[in-house]
Amino acid sequence: MIISILMGISVAFFGFVLQTSIAGVNRKIIGRVQKRYGPKWYQEFLDIFKLLSKRSVTHGWIFDFGVIMALGGIIATAMFMPITNDLMAFPGFDNFFIFVYLIAVGMLGMAMSASGSGNPLASIGVMRALTTMLAYEIPFMIIVLTIIKLTGHSSLSEIAMFQQTAVAGLEFSGTWFMIALPVGFAVAFLSLMGMLGKKPFETYIAPAEIASGPMVEYGGKQLGMLFIMHEITVFIEVSLFVHLFLGGAENIWIFLIKYFLVYTSVNLISNVNGRFKIDQVVVFFYKWPLLFAVMQAFVAIYLGWVI
Amino acid sequence: MASLEFLVIIALLGGVLAYLVGKLSKVVGASLTVLVSGFIFVSVAYFGLNGSLDASITYLPFVSFEATDLYLGTSFGILVTFIFFMVSFFNPYFVDKFKYPSLYSMFYLFSLAGVLGVFFTDDFLVLFFFFELVVWTSLFLIPLGKSKKAASWYYGFSAFGSFSLLFAIFVMRNTAGSFNINDGLSMVGGSDQILVFILLMVAAFAKLGAFPLHIWLPKVLGNSPDPVTSVFSGGLEKLGAFVAVMGLVKLAPVGPVIEAIDMALGQYLIAILGALTIVFGTLMAIRQDDAKKLIAYSSMSNGGYILVALTLLNDTSVSGALYHVLIHALASTAAFLAIGAVNRQTGTTKMSELGGMIHKMPVTYIVYLIAIISMAGIPPMGGFVSKWLIFQSVINEGMILIAIATFFGSIGSFLYVFRPLAALFLGQELPEFRKVIKEAPFFMLLPMIILSGLNIFTGVHPSVILQYINNVLAELGVTELGITTWTLSGNNGDLYPALIAVVFGVGVVIAFIIFIVLKKSRKVDLMDTYTAGNFVYTEELLHYSVDFYAPIERLYEKHINIMKDFYKGIAKKVQEFGSFVKYFFFTNKPEITVLWVVIVLGILLLWGDLL
Repeated sequence: MIISILMGISVAFFGFVLQTSIAGVNRKIIGRVQKRYGPKWYQEFLDIFKLLSKRSVTHGWIFDFGVIMALGGIIATAMFMPITNDLMAFPGFDNFFIFVYLIAVGMLGMAMSASGSGNPLASIGVMRALTTMLAYEIPFMIIVLTIIKLTGHSSLSEIAMFQQTAVAGLEFSGTWFMIALPVGFAVAFLSLMGMLGKKPFETYIAPAEIASGPMVEYGGKQLGMLFIMHEITVFIEVSLFVHLFLGGAENIWIFLIKYFLVYTSVNLISNVNGRFKIDQVVVFFYKWPLLFAVMQAFVAIYLGWVI
Repeated sequence: MASLEFLVIIALLGGVLAYLVGKLSKVVGASLTVLVSGFIFVSVAYFGLNGSLDASITYLPFVSFEATDLYLGTSFGILVTFIFFMVSFFNPYFVDKFKYPSLYSMFYLFSLAGVLGVFFTDDFLVLFFFFELVVWTSLFLIPLGKSKKAASWYYGFSAFGSFSLLFAIFVMRNTAGSFNINDGLSMVGGSDQILVFILLMVAAFAKLGAFPLHIWLPKVLGNSPDPVTSVFSGGLEKLGAFVAVMGLVKLAPVGPVIEAIDMALGQYLIAILGALTIVFGTLMAIRQDDAKKLIAYSSMSNGGYILVALTLLNDTSVSGALYHVLIHALASTAAFLAIGAVNRQTGTTKMSELGGMIHKMPVTYIVYLIAIISMAGIPPMGGFVSKWLIFQSVINEGMILIAIATFFGSIGSFLYVFRPLAALFLGQELPEFRKVIKEAPFFMLLPMIILSGLNIFTGVHPSVILQYINNVLAELGVTELGITTWTLSGNNGDLYPALIAVVFGVGVVIAFIIFIVLKKSRKVDLMDTYTAGNFVYTEELLHYSVDFYAPIERLYEKHINIMKDFYKGIAKKVQEFGSFVKYFFFTNKPEITVLWVVIVLGILLLWGDLL
């Protein structure tokens, strides 16, 4: 048990280091896209450590407690995440629903802390974040429902293994769901962009409009902790996507490559987009993605048309 | 051995005594309700769990209780008496505000007696009698609050449900030859069965406040006195779930089987209505301004989950439904009590008028926080376990449309439960409350703390309770859920709730260590915030609580009155029919009288020839 928990903590730490480095590399890539030189790849680390070392202000106990709950919830969620087929802390308990709902504890903590700061811009940001969540989760969950129904497993590592090798007698096994469910993949990719808060769905951050939304009142160590939380959240969401659609990973190098590709493509697409208004986000997700998700689920579950 | 008859008599006599004592002193009368309901809860729980409740009858005429296989009734009985007991702690603090305080205490205990009767009887007619006892007593509790009109809405829908129940009982009596519940439900068949199914469902929907019979629920829960609201949401609504179990699980499935999802048509239609209940409840809860009404709509949406789960009829779904009944009772009672406490201290539940309560009422805040985490289905609270079980079964059946509704309701619940958290407790501390507000008194905090403890316990170690629910499943003839001491097995994976709680604890400890080793922060005032260069000196201007979800509300606000207009339309049609009847039959206009005379004479003249 102790070993598993230590293992889980190292997974969370690995996720933090990985995502922070890749985010730094991505800043460089985006810089090149925009014909700039871009910062050093370890710039994100510098930012976080600088923030952690600064003296900051607090708006009362809930402001601090919310930050602790946010980071704690996200670290806990990351501890369940499998990295490769065998590299995970709690084999058999990496249930998909744990990720969707345990991540919400962290989000709730952050929302609570932001509202506790007494700044209306923070509350507006929280409102937008929750509304966006209501929009992107439904199509995503429908696609995941299809996957769970087809594989018969809700454990992430089992779903990944299902895609890696074709087992005789097991229908649909051996193909990545990226290929087996192409429409669903497209929908889930859009949802992933919403999850990561990338343009055009970054309405709840909107720096020029509501001053970074939920983050507006933070500085110093609280902001540093929220940065760490954000990096681990991105790690969880992108790895979730890798395991569900790209067949997981046999070893760590494959995981790194897939992870990097997914995150970079999201970033590249987002950088050529503008920003939606919040009601446009909702209408967008409930129009085509939801329709296509239902279509994909119907075709795959009832008709068995899987590539 | 405790005799059930004895407990019912205690509740009734206790009610009369509370009335008489209440005439002398309001608070003592109300305190009696704590004693009596506590006594009844302890007896039901202790003897019920030991299986030694005595069903024999010596004094009460006509009444009979179930002697054998009591698991379903006992589990509901323990839960609802517990809710009555917990809420009764609030009675002494609220009784001053009522117009008829001693009557309040009496009816509170009378409805407890009614609840006991409903859950433990084996006879349909007795069930109906006690059902009506609950309706009538609670009918007089509602108007003690803000609105008398809510009581008439409640009566209208309840009467509709009650009459359907009575009709169903008569149909079953016709087949089975007796009023015995199990005989009636198992023997009825053919077209009678379809009729009974529909009628029982109408009764269940009316009591549970499910779509389309949901109009009364937010009105009653929003306008009744706070303790009554809590009892309704946690206790009396569960009568509907009890009737739904009868109609959906005990009665054989109705209608042809749909091959693709392996489900009877009747169950599927109910599942769709349940899904609509979830969506409607969620959308309406998002746009409420009154915190009590908001939680009321969330009750409606959770009722939808119970219905959807009950229709699926497999191990995960039925145990999920029964567990959800428990979880929702605990969580919504705690949430209503917390809001009730705020209401007592401030005199309002409107979110647009309140703010920053956390600084004066931290315990109430924590209670509310735990309750909503459970209600939103987030681990490590109980709501996650029940929702996980329900999702398992929905996915396993591959019901896409129902799944959309359940996912929507679940994510939507994050939106609406956060609303009171932000508007009531967080945000700027409004000056008009800063001086006068104190934390609620100890005996109001006590039940809230107990309920919070249970909310956590049900999420960390559900196996104990699910083990008991397995007995209920065996009684209902459903396959039992696979449980070990710490893990649950669903259709496509296992869950280890305690592990999640431990890992969450580890995460929080790590975050806390990071927080504590870094430099200490300087405390600043709440008004000392970033305002983009504007100078703002009033707290209200910095407190964002009116029309919180305005952008998403705008998308559907044109359509919110569909059902209300529908019922208003029906009411108008009935009224028109009434005036039509009045015009032609009860009139003093000579021309109508002449018309009738001519018609009657005409019929008499033609009698025998043409007719």
